[in-house]
Amino acid sequence: MSIIKRLLTIVTCLLLIPATAVVTAAVKQRFADGPNRFFSGGPLIAGDMYTGSEPHWGFVNDITTIELQLVEPPRSRRIWTVEHKDKLYVWSGYMGTTVGRWWKGWPPQAERDGRAVLRIDGQRYERQLVRITSGDVLDGICKAITDKYPSRTTRASVEAGDVWLFEAAPRS
Amino acid sequence: MKLFYQCIAVAVVITALAVAFVPGVDEYVEATVQGIVGPLAR
Repeated sequence: MSIIKRLLTIVTCLLLIPATAVVTAAVKQRFADGPNRFFSGGPLIAGDMYTGSEPHWGFVNDITTIELQLVEPPRSRRIWTVEHKDKLYVWSGYMGTTVGRWWKGWPPQAERDGRAVLRIDGQRYERQLVRITSGDVLDGICKAITDKYPSRTTRASVEAGDVWLFEAAPRS
Repeated sequence: MKLFYQCIAVAVVITALAVAFVPGVDEYVEATVQGIVGPLAR
């Protein structure tokens, strides 16, 4: 066996260890009730489902992250959220890069089927994600985002497709 | 090389078990992956 082939074998074997760690962590999270940080979690199970009139969403501005699960596929992730004019918004950045689109797989899924479940402070809410790609409303939403988070989200980045923004509207 | 392969096999099994069952290890793995992928996605 040549020295290069042997070196490649050793490096591949050594890489197998961190790869195992990543795959195991991802699989473990997939079976959990909700997400943790990076890997998608399983369906949101715990928490009462909210029933009643449309909530006043202003309270989410005091909450850093919420859990979002799509109905199809039933996987969850932790995301930022903001309220603007008593409507609830979620978004995904990094959509302008290949790595970002691979990492943030949920926005195209949400565009195909927007049915979602949010879990906020242990309470679950059935919502319908509706993508917003343009319009003057983006100015106010992006200001609310940058006021709350260290984010560079702008109307231009949303309209360019670098950020995918959704209103978490009531499920009809 | 046979001993090396055996050590790798043991290390892989121990890694999988540690991530699956030892509290905090999966958290560490997630944080590390996030730290690597985050900058690449920008």
